[in-house]
Amino acid sequence: MATATGILKPKRRESSMASIRREEMIAGYGFIAPAVLVLFVFMVVPIVGSLVLLLTDYSMLGEPSWVGLENIKRLGSDKRMWTCYRNSALITLGATAGNSIMGFSLAMAINRKMPKALRYLYRTALFFPVLTTTSSLALVWRFLLTKDRGIVNWALGQVGIAPISFLGDPRWAIRSVIIYDVWKACGYQMVLYLAGLQGIPESLYEAARIDGASGWKLTRHITLPLITPTAFFCITMATIGAFQIFDNAWVLTEGGPGDASRTIAIYIYETAFKHLELGYGCAIAFLLLLILISLTLLQLWGSKRWVYYD
Amino acid sequence: MTTAEQTITKRKRFKHSFGYYFWHGLVFVWLTIMAAYAVMPIMWMFSTSLRVPSESFRFPPSFFPTSWKWSNWWEVLTSDIIKYPLFFINSVKIATLVTTSQLMLGSMAAFSFARLRYPGRSAIFFVFLATMMVPSQVTVIPRFIILRTFGMVDTHWALIIPGLVGAYGVFMLRQFFMTLPGELVEAARIDGAGFFRIYWRIMLPLIGPALSALGVFTFLGSWNNFFGGFLFLRSFDKLTLPVALVLLQGYMGEGSRAHVLAAIMMSIVPVMLVYLFAQRFILRGIALTGLKG
Repeated sequence: MATATGILKPKRRESSMASIRREEMIAGYGFIAPAVLVLFVFMVVPIVGSLVLLLTDYSMLGEPSWVGLENIKRLGSDKRMWTCYRNSALITLGATAGNSIMGFSLAMAINRKMPKALRYLYRTALFFPVLTTTSSLALVWRFLLTKDRGIVNWALGQVGIAPISFLGDPRWAIRSVIIYDVWKACGYQMVLYLAGLQGIPESLYEAARIDGASGWKLTRHITLPLITPTAFFCITMATIGAFQIFDNAWVLTEGGPGDASRTIAIYIYETAFKHLELGYGCAIAFLLLLILISLTLLQLWGSKRWVYYD
Repeated sequence: MTTAEQTITKRKRFKHSFGYYFWHGLVFVWLTIMAAYAVMPIMWMFSTSLRVPSESFRFPPSFFPTSWKWSNWWEVLTSDIIKYPLFFINSVKIATLVTTSQLMLGSMAAFSFARLRYPGRSAIFFVFLATMMVPSQVTVIPRFIILRTFGMVDTHWALIIPGLVGAYGVFMLRQFFMTLPGELVEAARIDGAGFFRIYWRIMLPLIGPALSALGVFTFLGSWNNFFGGFLFLRSFDKLTLPVALVLLQGYMGEGSRAHVLAAIMMSIVPVMLVYLFAQRFILRGIALTGLKG
């Protein structure tokens, strides 16, 4: 604030500056207070609490009892848990690949020249599954995939393929979860890839066309490199999400048959709330956190090789 | 055919080669098939829900309604066994409260993080970000214990209170606030406005699109939440729609497929309405998260 009084600063102005800053501070803290409170109680405290709980044996029926590192040791020998991790890993692989490939191809297709109304129609149709309730639509797919009276098997029968027990055959359980997840979620990635595609400056394509490039060459040398940041974001987010899948698998197969489609999220739920082993459940959950962090770091490290940032 | 050739030769009837049109056509066929695939299960659900229940298993399946037995829907709505309107209202209640709260408290926090200065601001915001990285499985067990201690298990509060603020919402709104010129706040300060007034009168209206997008996401997220209700709600009367549909599907109209599908269809209707009216906001909101990421 410019003044005409020069070097001497009257006390009055000094304290008003300080009081302005103090007012800003009060407002600042005040505005974030409710949010910080909620986040503290329901995020920070649980994370710390999980760390403490995994060192105990707690069943909610009595008092927690200290068991030290026993839960962690149990992680090594828990065959069922590793089966569930394997299931989740396979689902993540399949779902992430499926969603990314479908999302990208659909975005490329929709990005072509076509009447606005047609593009609107396609986009609306393809994105709609994303917004529906995962658990409810899984019920619908359960009807679609049943062996005896399911539409999918009927359709397969029309082309001469024997009926497949999508939900009862252990070999197909994970595939069914993946199929449902890709149907449901690829529209989301399509929107992300579409935004990424539209961020590529048209001038690049024009310049290349002047030089005589067309079609596949344009895609390979302009589109693909410049879509890698979007692809990286999509793949990373999809991986983290797919590892935590619960609704899909639970409603479709309840983890079955046997443990064929039991995801790690289902296993944690059952350990903590069915078998009432909350301490051990926290241990499994923390292992999941470590695995996800490692995966993300790995992806970040690998991104230096294949992601093109300008 | 290169552009140079085209300008020299006479104007041809078709601008591109046959190969181009063929590929273009293939792409459109594939796009149409994919769009149909996306919509088919929902169409099937709709048409089967309108069938006479005994016919709901008949083949060949129809994706377009063959009958219009709206009474199936009516029977689900008025059934004494499954109190559908009650579940519907439960879901609406929770979703509305959570959305309103997140928009209000989230935008306040976002404004503070973006435009106000005070010690520790970066550190606190960093903690906010860090919590977004943690999978829900880590926090769900202690959360249950905390809520149980407060006696909130089997109440709607268990779903509302943890959802009053979302780190994602704060993050997204902060990004938006930061795109607004900082001079706005300073000019208002010079004019003597208090901070709340600045927030309420100036900043908030300017992030309208972001608020709409966040509002839609939050509402849908709460509406579609299955696991929360599945874990915390026990009493019949407290159930939310997603949980009720899964747990009670055997009881709807004596297990008739048509009735179950009618019930699911009716739960999708609000989603459809929101989608039709707010599609632009939703898609724009998603695209922006992708770009920032």
